[in-house]
Amino acid sequence: MKALPTAALFLLMFAAQPAYAQEELLQRLDDSLSYQSSKGFFRSELSGLVDIEGYFIDHRPPGLLFGNADLFNPRLSLFLDTHLGEQFYSLVQFRADRGFDPRTVPDGDVRFDEYLLRWTPWADGRLNVQAGKFATVFGKWVQRHDSWQNPFITAPLAYENVTTVTDQAAPGTRAAFLGRRNLPDQKATWLPVVWGPAYSSGASAFGQLNKFNYAFEFKNAAISARPTAWDAQDLGWENPTVSARLAHTPNAAWNYGVSASHGAYLLPAADATVPGGYGRNSYRQTTIGTDLSWSHHGWQVWGEAIVARFQVPNVGNADTFTYFIETKYKFTPNLFAAVRWNQQLFDTVPDGAGGAQHWDRNVFRVDTALGYRFTRHLQGKLQYSFLHENGPIQQGEQLLAAQLTIKF
Amino acid sequence: MHMTAIAATAATLLLATLTAVAQGTASVEGTVTLPKPTAQAKPTSRYTGQTGALAAPEPPTAIVYLEGVPLLPEDKPATNVVQVVQKGMQFGLGLLVVRRGTRVEFPNGDDFYHNVFSYSKAKRFDLGRFLKDEKPAAVTFDQPGVVKLYCEIHEHMRGSVLVLDTPYFVKTDTNGVYRLTGLPAGQFKLKAWIDEKLVHELPVDLKAGAPTRVNFPGSP
Repeated sequence: MKALPTAALFLLMFAAQPAYAQEELLQRLDDSLSYQSSKGFFRSELSGLVDIEGYFIDHRPPGLLFGNADLFNPRLSLFLDTHLGEQFYSLVQFRADRGFDPRTVPDGDVRFDEYLLRWTPWADGRLNVQAGKFATVFGKWVQRHDSWQNPFITAPLAYENVTTVTDQAAPGTRAAFLGRRNLPDQKATWLPVVWGPAYSSGASAFGQLNKFNYAFEFKNAAISARPTAWDAQDLGWENPTVSARLAHTPNAAWNYGVSASHGAYLLPAADATVPGGYGRNSYRQTTIGTDLSWSHHGWQVWGEAIVARFQVPNVGNADTFTYFIETKYKFTPNLFAAVRWNQQLFDTVPDGAGGAQHWDRNVFRVDTALGYRFTRHLQGKLQYSFLHENGPIQQGEQLLAAQLTIKF
Repeated sequence: MHMTAIAATAATLLLATLTAVAQGTASVEGTVTLPKPTAQAKPTSRYTGQTGALAAPEPPTAIVYLEGVPLLPEDKPATNVVQVVQKGMQFGLGLLVVRRGTRVEFPNGDDFYHNVFSYSKAKRFDLGRFLKDEKPAAVTFDQPGVVKLYCEIHEHMRGSVLVLDTPYFVKTDTNGVYRLTGLPAGQFKLKAWIDEKLVHELPVDLKAGAPTRVNFPGSP
């Protein structure tokens, strides 16, 4: 990993070059990374994102940032998009970084995060069928989660705030489950409502019918599942999750959708800990979401509200509600700003002593970001977030993050 | 010779020259060898699939223009308005030539959003996202140069605007054939602009009433 600082230094030096020199170099790179047969039947294009991120945190890192201190996180994402005729498309996404979530593998990691084959029988896009390992159809944020499109550096709270539900083992008692509220997040074992883009494995069908979009998927893992459960080699389809989204676009400015997901969320390791007579398939995550987006001229606004229920062994139903509203405004061709309000509220569960208690700490977070696109290939972002949890433990109450992205 | 007489003679000669230039009776025609059309780049929708029918992009063309003609006092920047429609996820004109000062409108001909932006030195702008039925977003090109056009929503879309100071220009047809008329007589440079990296240039001696033939690349 000594190569990482060197690579980062090289990239920073590259970013400091005059914009026209970078643009020309990256445009030449862009042009040289595609191959097309003479009549265009076969076309393959390699593209990529190089992200250099730094996180400065006043407490333990929040969300899906691992470790206990400030963080430097470089990432290389390569995308191979291939079209075969009008009907077939494939995508492979390769990443080299410090783990899917920053610092999960501090010494560095390389992975194929997405790979899929898609068949589109009609040119109007009424039906697409695809199989592989790919982002979930649940919600709307996933469609714009890469660092070039996301106006922030982090994900919304719904996609990264770790709750006290775990996929590793059943809690022994209700008191034990409720006792987790007083602990710092155990990110290696606890789950958010949706784990980022949830690149789990399976198949999906989706398409566009007039002003409606639909999507349905059958996957090997729940939308809250951790990245180590996304690969079909690690987790099969014995306890699948099905998810769907239906959206309406009354005109180009507006889009609203509803999503739902249902499936087992416990991993095989939990089998030995669930009550006798039950299996991990007896405990499901059911999630319902709605999303709304609007854009016009320099404005873009997105909002999502999600209700999730985890059936927790020995406890019962643990319900949570989370939402965010986010807006981005482009001040100039280069400069944009964004603000996002996030909140997550937790319902009560019986405490075993005749009462009921909230099963996790309610939390709100406000994210602000300023971004600058130097060229079509270089973007910088700064984010400041303030997070507050109801309770004695604060995690990443104040976060300052910077990200430089080179796109080719 | 008395100074007044010298000044009068010089003014007469200048006026005669300008009049000849302004008469614009010469013409030039020929062909430009164009690059072969490349197969159409396909839009990539990793998470949403195909969202509309894709039109064919405009085949390659070139701009032929005359350089070195002195501007007359009445040669002011253009004030006309030109439209480039975005339809079928393509810029209607992949290559547009305008005179400095021309206002270009970009109507959206699709049922979904389009955007137009450029980070080119000659014009840096971003027109935001605009609908099919609203007043077309527009930009005035007030500096000569090449302006590369993009749509932030549909990354495969490409367009170029060549902004010129001269009024003497024409766009070839898709076979590379051009005819440029109303030119002043005299010795100038004739340029054929295909893209930023491929510009041909030849000297021409234009004569009033007699068409000159110039092929690019090649000899006049």
